Amino acid sequence: MSDNANLLDIHEMFKARRFRHHFVDESAVTGYSCGMTYARPRLPDDLTTIPRIPSWVTSGRPETPEDVAFRSGAALMVLDQLVSDPRHGVPVRLLANRLALNAATATSKLEGRLAREADIRDAYHLTPPGEARGPDGDLLAFWRDTVRLRLNGPGEIANLIGPDLAGDVAGWLDAGLERARAHGPLAGCVAILRAVFDADDRAERIACLLSDVLLARALNWKQVFPVSAQRLTKSVLRDLAGKGQGAELAVQVRILESIEEAIQSARDFARRAEALRSIAPKLRAKGSDAAVDVFLTEDAVAPASMLSPVVSGTLISMTDRAARRFCDRLVELRVARELTGRPTFRLYGIAP
Amino acid sequence: MTVTTRKRKPAEEGGANFDQELDDLPQELRWRKWMGRIEAVLFTSASPVSRETLARVVGQGASVEMLVDDIQAAGDLGDQSLAFTEMEMGALCAIAYHQPIDRAGLADIFGKEVSRDLLARLRCKGLIASGPRLPRPGAPHTFVTTEAFLVTFDLQSLRDLPELELREEPTS
Repeated sequence: MSDNANLLDIHEMFKARRFRHHFVDESAVTGYSCGMTYARPRLPDDLTTIPRIPSWVTSGRPETPEDVAFRSGAALMVLDQLVSDPRHGVPVRLLANRLALNAATATSKLEGRLAREADIRDAYHLTPPGEARGPDGDLLAFWRDTVRLRLNGPGEIANLIGPDLAGDVAGWLDAGLERARAHGPLAGCVAILRAVFDADDRAERIACLLSDVLLARALNWKQVFPVSAQRLTKSVLRDLAGKGQGAELAVQVRILESIEEAIQSARDFARRAEALRSIAPKLRAKGSDAAVDVFLTEDAVAPASMLSPVVSGTLISMTDRAARRFCDRLVELRVARELTGRPTFRLYGIAP
Repeated sequence: MTVTTRKRKPAEEGGANFDQELDDLPQELRWRKWMGRIEAVLFTSASPVSRETLARVVGQGASVEMLVDDIQAAGDLGDQSLAFTEMEMGALCAIAYHQPIDRAGLADIFGKEVSRDLLARLRCKGLIASGPRLPRPGAPHTFVTTEAFLVTFDLQSLRDLPELELREEPTS
């Protein structure tokens, strides 16, 4: 009995100590941040105003074609609202650029190169202008070009995918849209994936690109949001080439999951963009408005090249030092994050 | 080189003791010898050489055009496969598989420095180019292969490089 009591005492003591520890840590942090910054900007928490998929839609795994059709209908409607209606405050270009990075990482896997996301991002951002980006940077450039495609210009698609397959694109897209009208957009995506792989079984990035183009056309979007590649795997695609009925459904499920993740990202970005906009008036550095705009369009911002000597896309000049201070300030205000964990060659972004 | 020195004189003296026909050689060897002579004349001459001049170092019935064509074909082949030293080839392979990679990375692979001259030669041939900077002190620039590299080795894309077991392991 007394042993037990002792044990209890010891237990209590440990707990107390752990608590004290915790308490000290926390006060240190708050004291530190109070001294350094303003109060943490409130992320708008009335998330009910941003469209979302109701939980009764997403409960359970989609298993039958009917499940997938129903769920993809709901998901695509929500994503359509998020990217088409500016009132929801989704930073659309930022979302598209982030999805482009996801697609690049995914297609690198599909192509067997296995580059990591951070390496791809570095290859793209750390190449001096006019020099070769290498295969990883080129892959990201491909996807970033994709999200900038103007969909009514067929010539632009041809430029992206090269002369070998360009001749077939119009036919594939028509057939895919036909199928999308009859069986839903995801069925159209699968149809075009299949058509491309029949022509060239190593054209993963082109197949995924055309699937995304088809989705954008079917939903009447002005631009492409890459969602097809993200969750596809080599084995799923191999099965698709085998013409199995189950394989088609598996690919649809993968694309559906990716669309649901894109919705999550879009909602997340909307909140973070709102937080950045709300603190923007506090930033008094010269050119800070333009710099904020860069953060609202780019998922990764390199201060040394994208904010300095001029803020990218503008003529507003910013010194190297001012650019770095600006980024540090955003981190201090907790609206941006340093993405690489490096002491130099840093990249910043508002989204994780 | 002996061919070169011999041919100079005959060209001036009217071919007194110069064996144009090479009848004692088998057909194929004779043809090679003629190719060598034409190449030597072209190589040593400071100014363009007329077809008649070239005809004087080969047999009567031989077609100078065909000989020149063969020389060109052989030259193309040489550019592709024979013009690399072993080390150049090794460096090129390492870059192809591990790009983007900097000199320090290459030194890790080979266990010794890869000379700047060698890399400059590969760059002059248009097979490699400067790639992204590495996020390290000094921002060393990396090397990547070019479109010309793919064309030279008859590859559609880098995926056509032969599979290596190491490829699966995370590099860097």
